[in-house]
Amino acid sequence: MYATADMLLTSAQAHAAEQSQEPAIEVVLVRAVLEGDRDGFARLYDLYAPLVHGILLARVPRAEVDDLVQDIFLHAFKKLHTLRDAAAFGPWIAMIARNRAVDFHRRSKETVEINDDLRGSDAHDSRAKEILELIRGLPEAYRETLVLRLVEGMTGPEIAARTGLTAASVRVNLHRGMKLLREQLGFMEGL
Amino acid sequence: MNDDYLWDKTGQPDPEIQQLEQILGTLRYQPKPLVIPRRNYFPWLAIAASLLLALLAGGIWLRVRSHNEAPPQQARIETPKPVQAPQAPRNESALNPPLPPSKRIHKPRSASSVLPKAEREEALMAKEQLMLALRLTTQKLHLVHIKTQHKVG
Repeated sequence: MYATADMLLTSAQAHAAEQSQEPAIEVVLVRAVLEGDRDGFARLYDLYAPLVHGILLARVPRAEVDDLVQDIFLHAFKKLHTLRDAAAFGPWIAMIARNRAVDFHRRSKETVEINDDLRGSDAHDSRAKEILELIRGLPEAYRETLVLRLVEGMTGPEIAARTGLTAASVRVNLHRGMKLLREQLGFMEGL
Repeated sequence: MNDDYLWDKTGQPDPEIQQLEQILGTLRYQPKPLVIPRRNYFPWLAIAASLLLALLAGGIWLRVRSHNEAPPQQARIETPKPVQAPQAPRNESALNPPLPPSKRIHKPRSASSVLPKAEREEALMAKEQLMLALRLTTQKLHLVHIKTQHKVG
């Protein structure tokens, strides 16, 4: 028994050592940016822009999303020195995006999303907007995960790694969210 | 419902999810370059240059002022000359020949002109240095201004 425990411990230590020897790409990039490498931030942007885009798309009008993505990354660039754990860049910027979405709604209570309606769009695009509206109507825990999976094309493990949520939470959110969405879609098609 | 496909896109694809992916994919993030504005150092450079100029000008002004202050004057005691008896008028041009150039009476000049030669040269050198510093600062400010405009543009 002791031998097994020792083996497990050794395995865990080896895994930790392996992880510490090869830090995640985010850690390397965050450190590089803090040392003055602007290109490193461009790579972080490339890696995490879809995540931020998806989080915003689940919350704010589509016309505002692109500008907000830029704003959030500029804010993150200025405040990167306040990030204590470089490995937590994903959860950190995801939280900034969620807070920014809340701020957006607080500041523009009167805003009605008419921009998309005013724009000319084909049937495929309008169908996409309808489904997006259905997803936005779901509970908050499900809508973000569903948008990241169905719109941004991220897999469950990627969503978990980038947002800092556990894989189990993401799996449950995807499953339940998809079930609710199917019900909503069935309701729509029944009309 | 195929949960694996929803989770990590493995296993047998779910046609409904695939259709949703296809429709919603039109809303996917379209890569755009991030524009990080460079820091604008021009105001700080301008302030620093102004302070430097003010310090230089102040220093030179103090230096020149301290040189111009006249030394304490001493009262000149002159013994009165004995009054001579009036004489008959003479031909003044014959009696008072023109003084040699070294003994001519000059009108009092301005304070700067009464500086000794060495100090005058020193003041001129300081003036030259100030002018050079001003020219350099102006050129640097101009360069910084051009660079800043270029970056902003």
